[in-house]
Amino acid sequence: MRMHRSIATLATLALAAALAAAGAVQADDKTLTIGLLGPLSGGAASYGVELMRGAELRVEEINKAGGLKVGADAYRIKLVSYDHKAQAADTATATNKLIFQDKVKYIIGNAVGATCNAAQTITEPNKVMFAFVCWGTNNLAPEKPYSFRSMLSQWELTEPFYRWVKENHPKIKRVAAISPNDTSGKDTNTAVVKALKALGFEVAADEYYERGTKDFYPVLTKILAQKPDMIDVAAAPPGEAGLILKQAMELGFKGAKGWTAGINPFTIISVAGREAAEGVWSPANINVKGDHVSAAVRKFGETYEKRYGEVPGAIAVANYAAFDVFTQAMQKAGSVDTDKVLAVLTKEQFQTVWGPLAIGGKETYGIDRQFLYPLVISEVRQGKVVDIAEVLPAGLKKK
Amino acid sequence: MPIELLVQALLNGFGLAVVYVLVALGLTLIFSILEVINFAHGEFYMLGGFAAYYLFAVGGLNYFATLVLAVLLVGLAGVVAERLVFRHLRGKTLNAFIVSLGLLWVLQATAQLSFGVLDKSVPSAVSGIVRVGGVIVSRERLLVILTAVALITGLYLFLKFTRTGQAMRAVAQDADAAALQGVNIELASALGFGIGCALAGAAGALLAPIFAVSPTMGALPVVKAFIIIIVGGMGSLPGAVLGGLLLGAVEGVGTLFMSSAAVNILGFLMVIAILLLRPRGLLGAA
Amino acid sequence: MPPELRRVDGWIGFGLLLAAGVAVPLLTHDSYHLDVATVTLRNLLLTMSLRYVMSTGQLNMAHVSFMGIAAYASALLVTRAGWSFWAALPVAPLLAALAAVPVGRVALRVSGPYYFLISFAFLEVLRLVFNNFFVDYLGGPSGLVEIPPAHPLPLTGGAVTFTSKLAQYWLMLVLFLASAAVLIRLEFSRFGLVNGAIRQGELLAETLGVNVPRYKLGAFVLGAFFAGVAGVFFAHSQRVLHSSDFGLEPMVLLVAFTVMGGAGSVWGPVVGTLVLAVASELLRELHHYEILVYGLVLMVVMLFFPDGLVALPGRVARWFGRGRAKDGASTLGAGLAP
Repeated sequence: MRMHRSIATLATLALAAALAAAGAVQADDKTLTIGLLGPLSGGAASYGVELMRGAELRVEEINKAGGLKVGADAYRIKLVSYDHKAQAADTATATNKLIFQDKVKYIIGNAVGATCNAAQTITEPNKVMFAFVCWGTNNLAPEKPYSFRSMLSQWELTEPFYRWVKENHPKIKRVAAISPNDTSGKDTNTAVVKALKALGFEVAADEYYERGTKDFYPVLTKILAQKPDMIDVAAAPPGEAGLILKQAMELGFKGAKGWTAGINPFTIISVAGREAAEGVWSPANINVKGDHVSAAVRKFGETYEKRYGEVPGAIAVANYAAFDVFTQAMQKAGSVDTDKVLAVLTKEQFQTVWGPLAIGGKETYGIDRQFLYPLVISEVRQGKVVDIAEVLPAGLKKK
Repeated sequence: MPIELLVQALLNGFGLAVVYVLVALGLTLIFSILEVINFAHGEFYMLGGFAAYYLFAVGGLNYFATLVLAVLLVGLAGVVAERLVFRHLRGKTLNAFIVSLGLLWVLQATAQLSFGVLDKSVPSAVSGIVRVGGVIVSRERLLVILTAVALITGLYLFLKFTRTGQAMRAVAQDADAAALQGVNIELASALGFGIGCALAGAAGALLAPIFAVSPTMGALPVVKAFIIIIVGGMGSLPGAVLGGLLLGAVEGVGTLFMSSAAVNILGFLMVIAILLLRPRGLLGAA
Repeated sequence: MPPELRRVDGWIGFGLLLAAGVAVPLLTHDSYHLDVATVTLRNLLLTMSLRYVMSTGQLNMAHVSFMGIAAYASALLVTRAGWSFWAALPVAPLLAALAAVPVGRVALRVSGPYYFLISFAFLEVLRLVFNNFFVDYLGGPSGLVEIPPAHPLPLTGGAVTFTSKLAQYWLMLVLFLASAAVLIRLEFSRFGLVNGAIRQGELLAETLGVNVPRYKLGAFVLGAFFAGVAGVFFAHSQRVLHSSDFGLEPMVLLVAFTVMGGAGSVWGPVVGTLVLAVASELLRELHHYEILVYGLVLMVVMLFFPDGLVALPGRVARWFGRGRAKDGASTLGAGLAP
């Protein structure tokens, strides 16, 4: 009996070794494998799923057009993605797998702040280009030259957004901010509060809630007691943001509403209901159905909706554009080598689905690694998302 | 501190707690009869929410019919789970825990694959608010509270006065003795599990218009349910209600004074305190 | 000594682990494979120590919390107090073990499912503390970053650095084997016998003169110590610490690995961890389907192998009419009945 157990142990070990060996991938030299990480299941899955869809669409377009032509070669792009379930330890394992087994040199797409840190401990020493939408401030730094943020973060959004509020709605004096209690939430509220103070607003409240909360009556009761003129649901994801606004309305709030990190205003309308969502301002989204967007954006939105049954939010667009930026840079550099591409990336401005795009951010992060593109402020009117202003973040010149 | 603020805070807390009590009752019923901690309990709550979404939001069925149907469907799902899986695990708490963990993942993954990952909203059955002094309650929440209270009362009456209910209580007290008395253990087990899941499903369906539905919506209520039944006492129905009221009060008022993380810790500290001072819970049976 | 606890089996088993552990870097230098092997060893250390606690009938849900305490302690000792990794290595797990004393004492005042729930409460409280309090020290929701790897060790012929996957693997292997040796030795000694007796019938053990609370607390604290060893390694190999690494998700996985393998045997966690680690890597590309398959595997295995996979060969043997009847490796169900 005991010998049987030992044999079982040995057999399992042998099996493990055999299977691990079998898992090694053969590299094809005309295929460019690009990696993607994300929370693809669990609570934050909507971010990961959007990242993947945005990537898939762009990769398919490139492959259909005959592949990515870099120098004398035409590469077929292969996308490999792993689900890290928003866990730092899983992210490390998945990153290792991408780099050492799948042999990727580019990981385009990740979300959830703490996972970015975990991945960076591996991508940076291995000179792997890493583009993400994580909003953690320390994710971009001079010591991390291969890391890029492909979506405007709270540091680029808050100042222009609140400047616009101040100029166009001078009656608003007291603003309350509420975000989930995690990295992006804390960083967002910090950025909001900083911008508010710099512009002369009063901070009525700076509150956090645990992710997954659905009942905001307690925290809203606390916030409304401070009589804010405006509530910013800051870094709350669409579902929770919608609930906060709906419940605020039920509790009698009639003031202005903002959503600094509002990446998908369509969801907020359906969750909050038309009445509660009326008048919400979002500086961070792209409205693929808007009147002023280019044909490219509109087409992207239509293709996406047709294929996936949902309207894309800013994260899907961001990753779509990120793939665009990196592949364009490869073509300009004439190589897929990350150091060569790096040299090109920081010097050029790119044309993407967002419009003109530059890579800046040195004043905030100490290094130019933040994608900068025009900010569109939208307002929800009568159940529809309407673009009302376009603002350029600091560091981007219109071509 | 204006008194209305305090009352509003208390009401906020209670309003939600009463629904979590439904979830807690389901969990404790299952534990009493099968001696199984069903880690996947929150998934039945989620199924109730999605039943409400598909029947009411998509199908346009009348809200009350939706509730009834949702409860029946989830209850049926519970019975199926019991017959296929849990009846083999009666009394084997550890193994049942692992199996229920597996079930949780299976149901979660299936939900994300079938329903998509985004939150889906369910329209309100009734709208408008009721004001009493400076305190506000939405009509929707009032409806939820009343329905939940009705369900709890119904359960109490069922367990106390019907033969089946009494049989289930007998099994909960002592399965072997009950069997000797001729009680059909298999029936009690299946029914107990089914009703337990139905209660969770009811909670999910009731809260769907208020909170929207998503595949992961079951995680939080289950944690609250655990806290409630420990504080109130496992296997005690009045205990669960009392535990719920206590948790609701603590969390509702606590949010006024401290951060949300601290409030969450408060709930767990309550659990630890109760388990140390009075392990069987406030009203738990011996 | 009863047949099921022959010490020789302990040595044979340990020898196999040693052989397999040494074989891995001889078979492959691929960074990814080494990484998988290192993580598997780390999980093995966690599941074997968890199983030791469970062998006294305690389903301890706070096991990863002690891993976390040691991980944060080591990270802080090294980054803030300027300690060397090698000084922190013995001290941090001791701190975790010290923390385990009051927690264990408190948890042991209740039993069965209440024990499960109170340890679960501790798990959540600690996770919330890691996530939200003492942010300047623990990093808050952003996590604690920039933890250095193990400091170079001066040996004859030059210093050994620990930045490569290979070096990290060897470090983890040594830590694992040392810990496993202790745990296996204990299992096949009087301690193992007494623990088993406690699990199968606490009342009876007590009447036979066993100081049950002391054994249970001892197991709890020892388990916390070894979880702490894993935690120190985790901190300096992962180099980023986040509260999610010490919460419910990783904890239930550990329980699943242990029970799937078979909590009644010291080899159970070995089988369970290896099988599930392999499965996890194979399934990693499947996203949602990964969780689905994982869940199904868990359910099927537990329903058909209540004693865990480690009982598989015995069942197969019995099928062929050989081998004896079930030999005392009972499930913990008996010990958990309220």
